[in-house]
Amino acid sequence: MTCTAAGHDTHPLLERVEVVRNDRVAEGVGLLVLRAPRIAATVQPGQFVHVRIAADADFILRRPFSVHRASAGAVEILYQVLGRGTRELSMRAAGDVMDAIGPLGSGWRVPEGTVHALLVAGGLGAAPLGMLAEVLAARGVAVSVAQGAPTAERLVARDLFESVARRVEVATDDGSAGERGFVTVVSERLLAADRPDMVFVCGPEAMARAVAAQAAAAGVACQVSLERLMACGIGACLSCVVTTTSGRKRACVDGPVFDAGEVCWDGTEVPPRH
Amino acid sequence: MEQKSRPAISASPGSATVDLSVEIAGLVLRNPVMTASGTFASGREFAGFVDLSRLGALVTKGVSSDPWSGNESPRIAETSSGMLNSIGLQNPGVEAFCERDLAWLAGQDVPVVVNVSGHTVADYAAVVERLERERGVAAYEVNISCPNLDAGGMAFGTACAPAAEVTRAVRAVTKRPVIVKLSPNVTDIAEIARAVEAAGADAVSLINTLLGMAIDARTRRPKLARTVGGLSGPAIKPVALRMVWQVAGAVSIPVIGCGGIMTGEDAVEFLLAGASAVQVGTANFVDPGATVHVIDGIVEYCRISGISSARELIGALDT
Ligand SMILES: Cc1cc2nc3c(=O)[nH]c(=O)nc-3n(C[C@H](O)[C@H](O)[C@H](O)COP(=O)(O)OP(=O)(O)OC[C@H]3O[C@@H](n4cnc5c(N)ncnc54)[C@H](O)[C@@H]3O)c2cc1C
Ligand SMILES: Cc1cc2nc3c(=O)[nH]c(=O)nc-3n(C[C@H](O)[C@H](O)[C@H](O)COP(=O)(O)O)c2cc1C
Ligand code: FES
Repeated sequence: MTCTAAGHDTHPLLERVEVVRNDRVAEGVGLLVLRAPRIAATVQPGQFVHVRIAADADFILRRPFSVHRASAGAVEILYQVLGRGTRELSMRAAGDVMDAIGPLGSGWRVPEGTVHALLVAGGLGAAPLGMLAEVLAARGVAVSVAQGAPTAERLVARDLFESVARRVEVATDDGSAGERGFVTVVSERLLAADRPDMVFVCGPEAMARAVAAQAAAAGVACQVSLERLMACGIGACLSCVVTTTSGRKRACVDGPVFDAGEVCWDGTEVPPRH
Repeated sequence: MEQKSRPAISASPGSATVDLSVEIAGLVLRNPVMTASGTFASGREFAGFVDLSRLGALVTKGVSSDPWSGNESPRIAETSSGMLNSIGLQNPGVEAFCERDLAWLAGQDVPVVVNVSGHTVADYAAVVERLERERGVAAYEVNISCPNLDAGGMAFGTACAPAAEVTRAVRAVTKRPVIVKLSPNVTDIAEIARAVEAAGADAVSLINTLLGMAIDARTRRPKLARTVGGLSGPAIKPVALRMVWQVAGAVSIPVIGCGGIMTGEDAVEFLLAGASAVQVGTANFVDPGATVHVIDGIVEYCRISGISSARELIGALDT
């Protein structure tokens, strides 16, 4: 039997959210804590919120962000400053109010009887894996983490992973922490060493695809969280489709988490992250 | 959600009531606010945010005779005060639409306008013929911005003859109201409007999206997989207003205005320009409750201006 990580369904709602904290955690990366009691009450690992960052700006669309962690009354978002929206977001301060739709999407699925999970995070791909790591650990599932980033400083959420995982192994582009090179070297090693029964991946699409191939070769089930440009975020506009073995699905409701085996990797692209 | 069913008369607290009802091609709508096709799916996704029974009408996503898989991704690009889309009219086909969407809509207290797409004149007629067997269709909206495969892919709506031909073909197979949705990507939209009126359209709606393009200078690539797409949102409102005003002056059938409506005041501007009703599109992505906020905004405007019926606003532009 399969269920969501915490076991029940959620319905999205529109909530007025207030900034509790907005801290810089690394070069170009912020951690935003939002008071959002209604969203926090039902959010599942891997789900996201669709945030209206500014009501008066000349960019009109909302921005989707994974819920990194949730606690009583609040959700945390780890974000990378990329363009207009995230730049604006980085300037929000405690007490500022925005509105968010959430919780959205179908998150990570943890099959009954999962014993050992491998989480593979590339860059900000660590964001949707934070809450998952905590929930897995609380359920007694052994967690290993393979994490990659450009530099040691940008290994975001490392403390969280260290605190709940059996082991965390890292790779950086510049060798400032762990292995020099791609996280795929680490994930390959942990797949062989830990013999996990489920792999959870989020990161740049090329990396997610490579890890999915490693998992498939090892005969291990794998889920990937994918990014697409999103207008509505609630399943109505068909902006966000992912090509799957059973046709085009909407990343915002049928995903963002997909079984790696159903994803047709060619023919879809999002703007590069770095 | 708020209360389920509402009368045509909307009351605003502590003041005189405002009559919002309008008539389009024999349909009496409780207010002039409809959803714009393709921005509201069939309403299910919005039911948690909007009391659908408050809408004047719900216009569905475009439906074709066979399933269409749509275009490659990326399908959207944000632009200044707007967005481009090249969804490509992805839809599961009329049969699946009847089973999944119309059946669900039958349980909702809202007039349903089915938006119809096709690649040939026969396609359009086939969709409507299939829908004639279903109850719960209040009217058709014929999207003539689709590429005409018999004419090298040029949209039906860009010339009078093919626009009229599609209209006649649909007219021939239904007695239900036929609304023809005009493309703005033409030299003289009033001429097309007159052509579809002569061919039997009961109303026209406009505008569909304006052809546009966005480029990423860094990668030197177009932002949309299909290179070009349709521009929508507040950026197109001035163009839409101008076209609604021109068309309202050129035809005697009702005009439904659409393009960049975000607020009640935007909607009022379209009514003043000559529209009898309006459609709200891209705003639904910004605020899933946008349609209801637009309705409330019209009531507010009428109340402040001492107007008792929204119909008084239609074409009431002072020039
Ligand atoms: C389900 C989901 C979860 C996400 N979770 C996170 C997260 O936890 N942390 C994080 O930093 N980022 C996350 N992203 C990516 C994030 O949404 C984009 O980085 C952000 O929208 C960029 O906005 P901008 O205005 O700064 O960039 P701009 O480039 O100015 O944005 C222009 C448009 O493109 C869209 N866009 C640009 N890049 C992306 C992208 N990679 N994915 C989707 N839309 C994009 C924007 O939303 C906007 O509509 C997630 C994306 C999705 C789909
Ligand atoms: C994502 C998207 C999908 C659309 N799909 C359709 C469609 O299926 N049929 C149609 O006639 N118009 C379609 N349109 C056009 C809208 O109905 C509307 O005419 C246009 O977006 C302008 O209004 P707006 O600025 O309020 O969005 C679509 C628009 C968008 C943004
Ligand atoms: S973003 Fe609109 S359907 Fe997914």
